[in-house]
Amino acid sequence: MNEGAALAGLRVLDLSDYRGQLCARMLADMGADVIKVEPPDGDGARRIGPFVDDLPHRDRSLFFWFYNLNKRSLTLDLENPRGREILASLARGADLVVESFAPGTLAKAGLGWAALHAVNPALILLSIAPFGQSGPYRDWAADDTVLAALGGMLYVNGSPGRAPVRPLGLQAYHASAYYAAIAVLCALFARDRDGAGQWIDLSMQEATAAAVEHVAGSYFGDGRIEPRRGTLHWSRYFRVGKCRDGYIMHCTLGDWTSLVEWVAGDGKAQDLTAPEWNDVVYRATHAEHLFDVLDEWVKDYSRDELLERAQTLRLPYATVRQPEALLEDEQLAARGYFVEVEHLELGRTIRYPGAPYLFNGSPWRVYRRPPLTGEHTAEILREALGFDAGELAALAAEGII
Amino acid sequence: MGAPPPVTMGALPLDGIRVLDFTWVVAGPVATRILADHGAEVIKLERRPGPIGPRQTGLQGDLHRNKRSIAVNMGHPRGVAIARRLAALSDLVIDNFSARVMRSWGMDFASLSKLKPEIVCVSMSGLGHTGPRASYVSYGPTLQALAGFTRLMTEADGEPAGYGYSYADMSGGFTGALAALIALRHRRRTGQGQFVDLSQFEAVVSVVGPAILDIAVNGRVQTPPGYASQEAPAAPHGVYRCRPRDGDDDRWLALAVRSQAEWERFAAALGAPGWTAEAKFRTLYLRIRNRAELDAHVAAWAAGQTAEAAMADLQRAGVAAGLVANGADLCARDPQLQSRNFWGTVTLPDGRTTQVTGMPMKLSATPGSIRTPSPEIGSSNDYVLGELLGLGRAEREALIAEKAIWL
Repeated sequence: MNEGAALAGLRVLDLSDYRGQLCARMLADMGADVIKVEPPDGDGARRIGPFVDDLPHRDRSLFFWFYNLNKRSLTLDLENPRGREILASLARGADLVVESFAPGTLAKAGLGWAALHAVNPALILLSIAPFGQSGPYRDWAADDTVLAALGGMLYVNGSPGRAPVRPLGLQAYHASAYYAAIAVLCALFARDRDGAGQWIDLSMQEATAAAVEHVAGSYFGDGRIEPRRGTLHWSRYFRVGKCRDGYIMHCTLGDWTSLVEWVAGDGKAQDLTAPEWNDVVYRATHAEHLFDVLDEWVKDYSRDELLERAQTLRLPYATVRQPEALLEDEQLAARGYFVEVEHLELGRTIRYPGAPYLFNGSPWRVYRRPPLTGEHTAEILREALGFDAGELAALAAEGII
Repeated sequence: MGAPPPVTMGALPLDGIRVLDFTWVVAGPVATRILADHGAEVIKLERRPGPIGPRQTGLQGDLHRNKRSIAVNMGHPRGVAIARRLAALSDLVIDNFSARVMRSWGMDFASLSKLKPEIVCVSMSGLGHTGPRASYVSYGPTLQALAGFTRLMTEADGEPAGYGYSYADMSGGFTGALAALIALRHRRRTGQGQFVDLSQFEAVVSVVGPAILDIAVNGRVQTPPGYASQEAPAAPHGVYRCRPRDGDDDRWLALAVRSQAEWERFAAALGAPGWTAEAKFRTLYLRIRNRAELDAHVAAWAAGQTAEAAMADLQRAGVAAGLVANGADLCARDPQLQSRNFWGTVTLPDGRTTQVTGMPMKLSATPGSIRTPSPEIGSSNDYVLGELLGLGRAEREALIAEKAIWL
């Protein structure tokens, strides 16, 4: 099914909750066989909305779907010793286990690094935790907002004197998932040399701190604490402006002569024709005035008209859009970004966001829709561990699967 | 297969992978920084004059540590010839130009794969190499505006207020590093090279999250989330202004209270003030419904606390809370980051040291490391031309004299 896939043959057990599960999702998209191990009543993410047609149900959570496309689902009670035994058996045949339990939880259950490494020396264990596996905050509680706060991601968004503004989406979790997936690939390259697996300790606070562009560079470089500046980008080359029908993003990089000729042609250049504005550094140091003049200029334009003309002149302007516009975006459509995934049991096809990269040899693809709760339990235990119908029935009767 | 070679102490996971790096600005350098930290030999191919500003400290120092630099004039045919020879010695060629640039030099995948069939090329352009807007000029801030981030990060009055930085450059960088490693992995298994056409726009759209499915399936117009929980429901949930620290009144505490048990511990940690016992805050449902009133109480409490003490008190009670870290909190005062040695230190050629962003993943056997400072442009000319390409001194001097290579 996935023979030509980039990560064909990579076997993953995903024990992580919604804070970690984007990582294995990205591996599954590239052909890894990812088994999502859920408690018998389903992963917690299944109880988080939004839901299809706003009807809450564990097999209708769009939140769960986003993070679990292309995975198979196995329900297994890890509180039960037999459940833990089954997990250890599965780990024997796996390349990677992903977990996001509170630090120490797996070890207490007899499934920590030492135990897993003993049953399978080639296994890679990825532990994703809010503050990592060590340090004074190791056992502290956090959600995405608290991580964004302690990771330096919140403080720099919003206007001076007002409350910091939070990013759209769960960006502390998302950044962590990307770093986690990168770490897994690194561990696979290392394993090629000596066959040994290793334990990856991923701190979400650190991943968040390493997902902020400028704060550390400014602090370590100049001792400067980066403030909030509203929509003025810290480089001082971008700021939001308002057209007659919505917002645009100004950009004063790019060909200044073209921009200023256009503005002057509209009779709105004020002092911008003066030669000092040719200097890109001067444009940054005088950004407030510059953007005030440009705001006056754009206010009678429609934003699409402005965008098209700017891009014709190779000026890096953009419209500030609602995300609904993405579904109608011609560029995404032309590149096949959105993909249709059939959900037979709902009798409908759902449009998913698709590949973040187009590989010409071993592409991103949809292998299966996100799994129903425990949909592949029997199939996985038969295939991987050779369980027969009687054993499966007994495990089910005891509530272990 | 014979016995595997013994692991060398200090081996890096990407040892032996060579990257020819044409990227500039931020997203591309973020991608190659991750590869370099983990042991890839990253050779930045740069032009003169370079960008203004310090190269070894600040953001540039942070972005380019662990990399090498060669200064090649790609406007000169012999400069291009050097780049092509270098590509043939590399595993990965990575750029963040629009499609036409690498093609014009014969450095695109179609040309390079004739030279070296197993080459991996990753191009991290703004909107991709295909489609009606492939030629759009963009930067991270403009891409996150197109993706919906800027519009939905607002002040209470609904005016856009967000991102103070370019998250799109970061998401693009992560996506680029991941794409490169996946393609190299595929090559290791199959021997096949390939081309990855990475659109930084699609990379940032991909991290919007479940909201896209809410639009696609439920047709819901997305509204600014503010501090409403975007994961399991919570109240109180948000940022609350705390007591000034050394005259700085821009001090905030973020906190999240979800389960009933957490609410009870939260109330106890505050000393069980009367309002926490009011019927209108009894259940999570009621706390969310009466959120504005609840937030006013929490804000009044927070105003009398320092962010540090409030965070510690709430965490002792098992409640998710954290101060909203500014640059100094993050880089100089965070005991957690310090205890894990998160911030890296590099020694500059003049003996001074500077700190840089560390690596958020600790690999137990083959961790990444921060080894060398950001290179001055062209500082590896001799290594690359001499050791890698085997050019003698006279040949190198000739290249410099005709300005195919810049000193």
